[in-house]
Amino acid sequence: MNAVTLENVCKSFGQVHAVDNLSVQVPAGSVYGFLGPNGAGKTTTIRMIMNIIRPDSGRIEIFQDGQIERVKNRIGYMPEERGLYRKMTVRKVLAYFGAIKGLDTKELAHRVPHWLQRVDLAGWADKRVEELSRGMHQKLQFAVTVINNPELVILDEPFSGLDPLNQDLLKNIILEMRNEDKTIIFSTHVMHEAEKLCDFILLINKGKSILDDTLDHIRSRQSAHTVSVELVGDTGFVETLPMVTAVKSEGNRLDVSLTDADTQQFLQALVQRAKVRAFEVKVPSLHEIFVNLVGASDAQNS
Amino acid sequence: MHRILKVAQREYIETAKTKTFIIGLLMTPVIIGVIIFFTKAISGGKAGPRPDIVVGVTDLSKTLAEDIKTSFDDYNKRNPNRQFLLQRLDIQQDANSTEAKGKTKLRNGQLNAYVVLDEDILEGPGKIRFYTYKPKPANVDAFWTIENFFRKAVENRRYEIEKIDKKLLARLRNVPLERLEVGAAEGREQVQSQGQRIAGMMVPFFFMYLIFMGMVGTGQHMLSSIIEEKNSRIIEVLLSAVSPFQLMAGKILGLAGIGLTVMTLWSAAAYAAASWQGLNVGVTPQLMVYFVIYYILGYLLFSAILTGIGSVCNTIKETQSLMMPVMLIFIIPMIGWFKLVQSPDGTLARALSFVPPVTPMVMVLRLAAGSNVLFVEIGASILVLAAAVLLVTWAAAKIFRTGILMYGKRPGPLEILRWLRQS
Repeated sequence: MNAVTLENVCKSFGQVHAVDNLSVQVPAGSVYGFLGPNGAGKTTTIRMIMNIIRPDSGRIEIFQDGQIERVKNRIGYMPEERGLYRKMTVRKVLAYFGAIKGLDTKELAHRVPHWLQRVDLAGWADKRVEELSRGMHQKLQFAVTVINNPELVILDEPFSGLDPLNQDLLKNIILEMRNEDKTIIFSTHVMHEAEKLCDFILLINKGKSILDDTLDHIRSRQSAHTVSVELVGDTGFVETLPMVTAVKSEGNRLDVSLTDADTQQFLQALVQRAKVRAFEVKVPSLHEIFVNLVGASDAQNS
Repeated sequence: MHRILKVAQREYIETAKTKTFIIGLLMTPVIIGVIIFFTKAISGGKAGPRPDIVVGVTDLSKTLAEDIKTSFDDYNKRNPNRQFLLQRLDIQQDANSTEAKGKTKLRNGQLNAYVVLDEDILEGPGKIRFYTYKPKPANVDAFWTIENFFRKAVENRRYEIEKIDKKLLARLRNVPLERLEVGAAEGREQVQSQGQRIAGMMVPFFFMYLIFMGMVGTGQHMLSSIIEEKNSRIIEVLLSAVSPFQLMAGKILGLAGIGLTVMTLWSAAAYAAASWQGLNVGVTPQLMVYFVIYYILGYLLFSAILTGIGSVCNTIKETQSLMMPVMLIFIIPMIGWFKLVQSPDGTLARALSFVPPVTPMVMVLRLAAGSNVLFVEIGASILVLAAAVLLVTWAAAKIFRTGILMYGKRPGPLEILRWLRQS
């Protein structure tokens, strides 16, 4: 079952195609990362999912329902632009947003303290929002997002403005929610976060999807067949091996590019000729994939 | 509906807690009370000493000087705070040069006023000539009193000449009059004071003013509430839980509660004050029902206009330029209220009853003024008003939906028209 389905969604602002014929399916229970450079159309896509702006064409369904207003209670959304009532107290803000998301007084009495505890704001419950620091404000915003225990959580740049400690706090909560089979969509342009959390990646550039797959697939498909080795003794023979296409030397280390051949064969060949001190199959980081693909798609367009 | 109520509840509580609201709620009655208090205090003669008034007199008839001196002395005894000083300028060479001298003294500031009594003032067509030179506004009331002294003196002397009995005259001129209000039952007649009559005039104005303040006062809160949500970027979080229409409806409802609270408290205060002063304001239950209907419809119309305006602006300052034309319309009945009270069935009153933004104010004014407003007229005006409310709310909802997510430059009229055409 899909939690979110986008079919051929388009949105233009004047001459700019913010989102261009985008189709995505977010399976229930997955963590889906929307990646892309600034201005790629991530926020626009998320806003359309939330029915805050309407697509020019195409279809959007959440929980197989085209009427998003009907399922809003089951969604938690944290926009990129954070904002809360500055004059209200932390507790009241949380209770208010819980109430308009359909929680009754009894549930609120239980959940508000629970979430304040969870994001380390229990001591600030009766302070006004304007007294909070930026990081605390951000955590409160997150608590507001999930107060209604949503099945689908959509986070737009959730980690921006948080220190490493709070980033970990947030990551742990997200992982916990994944274990509870919740669907999480978040957008970011910080790749290592996505790498640690995501099951699926959607890479958008200039409103178009340039990559949409599971993180595992992406990694194996994008594998550049590069191995980094450290040998004792003469290394000149490496270049002459049949499966080697290029060798780049960095001090003791050699970065070796291979043909399609199995890395195991290469290791065997090395072991026969020299003493191997280190051997590492290089998995390209999401960062590299991102830079490569976005660069390629920009080059194609220009 | 649950969400609309929740939004309304927050709007009500948070607005009621603001300083602007509390000050506005208390200040209006306080200011009115203070004005009344000071008006009474001043007219009660409690003011401090005022400068003397020097009056020069040239009596060409040579008969009135003593009488005038007596009346001046009487006045000075009764009013220790302000003295009228009499300075006789008797003829030395000829009348003209004396008069010229008097005028010079006036110009020099030695005199505040200079009075010349003509020679034939008592029996002929002569005049009292009252000269002033650049009179200060503060002295004008004194001049009236002094003028009267001179006229009284001439008048009294004329009675003597004509041999008219002053006591007889006073008896003839005294015709007692009592103003009575027939009560609901026999034997409950009440003496009506002058205040009662003025109150009768003021009640319609008070009702109209209540509607005006109820709409405009809460309107300010509407604008600041929308601008706050826009500026602190709360809108998107809100829209993830409620639809734009629910948000707008909740705001309108919550602030309607604020308006009703203010009006209930003010009315209660006014009613208490009127009862205390023994004024019978004569408000019928029927009038109250109409008042509530017109207020609610008028408020809905006004607040819909404001949600539209608030949603396209980024700062309170920006809203002000858009509020100007709106306020001008609402001020029409405030300026013309006296004319409307005097002829509540006139063409102007009838026509304005069907101009939706001012319908509530004009209709309540007319109803409270006790005119025979036709039932058809009431029904038709309510229908026109309700239609306007629906139309404006429809347009405002569309503008609101798009406008609240727009930051930066304010959209022009053409762009707003485009939003209205969007589905």
